[in-house]
Amino acid sequence: MLESTTWEARFPMELHPILLAENIRINAEPLIPEVAWFTNSYLVTLLVTLLLVIWARSATRKMKLVPQGGQNLFEAIIETLYGTFEGIVGKHMIARVFPLIATLFIFILIANWFGLIPGVGTIGWGEPEPGLFAIKEAAPPLVRPPNADLNMTLAMALVFMCMWFYWTMSEVGLIGFLRENFEPKGGIKGLLWALLLPLFIFVGIIEMISIVFRPVSLSLRLFGNIFAGETLLHTMSSLGDSFPVPLNYICSVLFPLPFYFLELLVGLLQAFVFSLLCAVYIRLSTTHPEGEAVH
Amino acid sequence: MSNLSQVFGVTWAHFLAQVILFIIVYLILKRFAFNPVIAMLEDRRRRIEEGQLNAERIQKQLADAQAKYEQILAQANGEAQKLIESVRQSGDQLADQKRQEALAEAERIVAKAQEAMTLERDRVMAEMKHELGRLVVETTVRVTGKVLTNEDHRRISEEAAREIAA
Repeated sequence: MLESTTWEARFPMELHPILLAENIRINAEPLIPEVAWFTNSYLVTLLVTLLLVIWARSATRKMKLVPQGGQNLFEAIIETLYGTFEGIVGKHMIARVFPLIATLFIFILIANWFGLIPGVGTIGWGEPEPGLFAIKEAAPPLVRPPNADLNMTLAMALVFMCMWFYWTMSEVGLIGFLRENFEPKGGIKGLLWALLLPLFIFVGIIEMISIVFRPVSLSLRLFGNIFAGETLLHTMSSLGDSFPVPLNYICSVLFPLPFYFLELLVGLLQAFVFSLLCAVYIRLSTTHPEGEAVH
Repeated sequence: MSNLSQVFGVTWAHFLAQVILFIIVYLILKRFAFNPVIAMLEDRRRRIEEGQLNAERIQKQLADAQAKYEQILAQANGEAQKLIESVRQSGDQLADQKRQEALAEAERIVAKAQEAMTLERDRVMAEMKHELGRLVVETTVRVTGKVLTNEDHRRISEEAAREIAA
């Protein structure tokens, strides 16, 4: 899959250093051939991380009781998220799970919107073609949206599932977890309980399979949406390529413009979907059978 | 599965690098962003609750003070009314007393005046009787040309006085 080419072969100096590309690959590509894991999506992940850390530190370094400026915005976001997720996971769990769920939401949101900055996925090295800074294909693009890389989405999903397992076990225990999934519910007793037990065990097995596939569904959903958005924007940008200059340049800006607004919404929506599903999974597994929360 | 991971470019190295980076993001945000903000929000919520409790307590104290003020005011009003009533009653009594004294004084003056008048009238009547008796005697002497004795003087005077009194 990854070609073992040298730096000079991959980025020949005779090519334009910054060019526009038409296509987007389904996988992230290494920027440095010798360091396979340092891909273009990883570079953006680093940038987003740096951005988040700087933002969070600048907002919380000198916190005041009456918030102003950056602290005000940051607190408003945190407070909104806290209230939203508290309603889902419950008061007994929110303090433990909030940092991870909020990290997922904010990280996914910033990463998604970062991917909409013009140039992400299109600036790179490639074979030149007629036009201003035009190339046939950026191979590889210098930067790529982190969530258009399945490694990133899978990493977030698996980190969450590990934490989910820890929280579930610490909250209800293994026996409680198995009883919740396999034991007949609804206060059934006696012969009916025995008759229904195989059915509930079967349902429990299906539930276990669905739990195993949760990280897959979480990661593929996010990856699919963001990658599809990237592809859509690239396609719209290149729709007018066959038009004469400068019409093709104008079209490359105008055609994708409405879809940028759509992708802004999709980026927010996907961040919410991912984090809300995580919250719902926590709620489902940490709610006690009698519906009473442990404080 | 292996083919699928190849298609999507999922590799252990890349995957673990992303996991590590995400955990670092999580830990940094948890340590330097979420915990301080949540602590600040909690502190603010606690202060707001305390403020509300204080406001309620102050409101209650204000209501108590208002009630106490009204009670004191009512009590003061009552006492003032009593005082006014007492003063008014004292004034009436004093006025009555003064009026009674004035009436008594007036009656006394009237009585004294009547007594003085009676005495004066008696004196005038006595003088008038005496003078009239003298005039009758003198007239009698001149008309009759007789020399009257003392007894005649006395008798004629008494008769004249009786006639006047009648």
